[in-house]
Amino acid sequence: MPDAKLPHQHCLDLFGRLSEYLDNELDGSICRSIEAHLAQCEACQVCLATLRRTAALCREAGSQPVPEDFSRRLRALIASLPKR
Amino acid sequence: MTKQTGSPKKSDPDAPLIEAVQAGQNTLFSELVKRYEGALYNFGMKMCGATGDAEDLVQDTFVNVFRYLKDFRHETKFKNWLYRIAASVCIKKRRKSKFAPDRELSLEEFLPADEAAVDLKVPSWAALPLDRVLNKELRGRLQEAILALPEKYRVVLVLRDIEGFSTEESGQILNLTPSNVKVRLHRARLFLRDRLKSYFEDA
Repeated sequence: MPDAKLPHQHCLDLFGRLSEYLDNELDGSICRSIEAHLAQCEACQVCLATLRRTAALCREAGSQPVPEDFSRRLRALIASLPKR
Repeated sequence: MTKQTGSPKKSDPDAPLIEAVQAGQNTLFSELVKRYEGALYNFGMKMCGATGDAEDLVQDTFVNVFRYLKDFRHETKFKNWLYRIAASVCIKKRRKSKFAPDRELSLEEFLPADEAAVDLKVPSWAALPLDRVLNKELRGRLQEAILALPEKYRVVLVLRDIEGFSTEESGQILNLTPSNVKVRLHRARLFLRDRLKSYFEDA
């Protein structure tokens, strides 16, 4: 990713750590360094925003109800298992 | 296996129920089924993509739990142990999607191909409120993209971003180091991000 003000290597370094940053899994000093870079690099800001949204979409992807017929069969099967 | 800190039993909301079943109250096993069949079914749907496969996963997992619960010693939370069994069932069945060959994902493949491919503006799908973006069609596309992930990345993404397990818990469930969980999660998210980008660019 190009960056007019900072070396390209900063973008590459950040690219590998964006998820850890999003998940608050990095030390404070690394976070500050990332935030300083992000403030000046639009490409990395876009990277972060799209990755954050991807994780959020997964969290909100929704769930499906268990088919009632299967749920009945499952309970019947477990009830038939030899007692331990 | 990651080393546990503290006592998993004390912080485990399922511990009283597990102890009752272990003490011989077998009828209470149905309460465990009630608590977890929905979560496991959705784990199965995300991992396998087909109703029948998800049902098989739930059934085999509970049969194994029923069989081995007497040996469970609260070294981890019951839920983590349950998912460890579910993940193991899933992997053993080798239910690989034809869209998801087993391969490594490298960081490099997600870098922009050249400067022209670098986005300098946040796209609307990442900028608008979530509820304005997430519709039925996108849910379907997201499910397809998750199923297209190679299995070892898919299972990490499902545990972390869908089921809500921590990095440490996911490591315990999958017998991976926290570093490995982080690496796989990041690459899985990048894979999905690229799929989402393509979907919105083509729309």
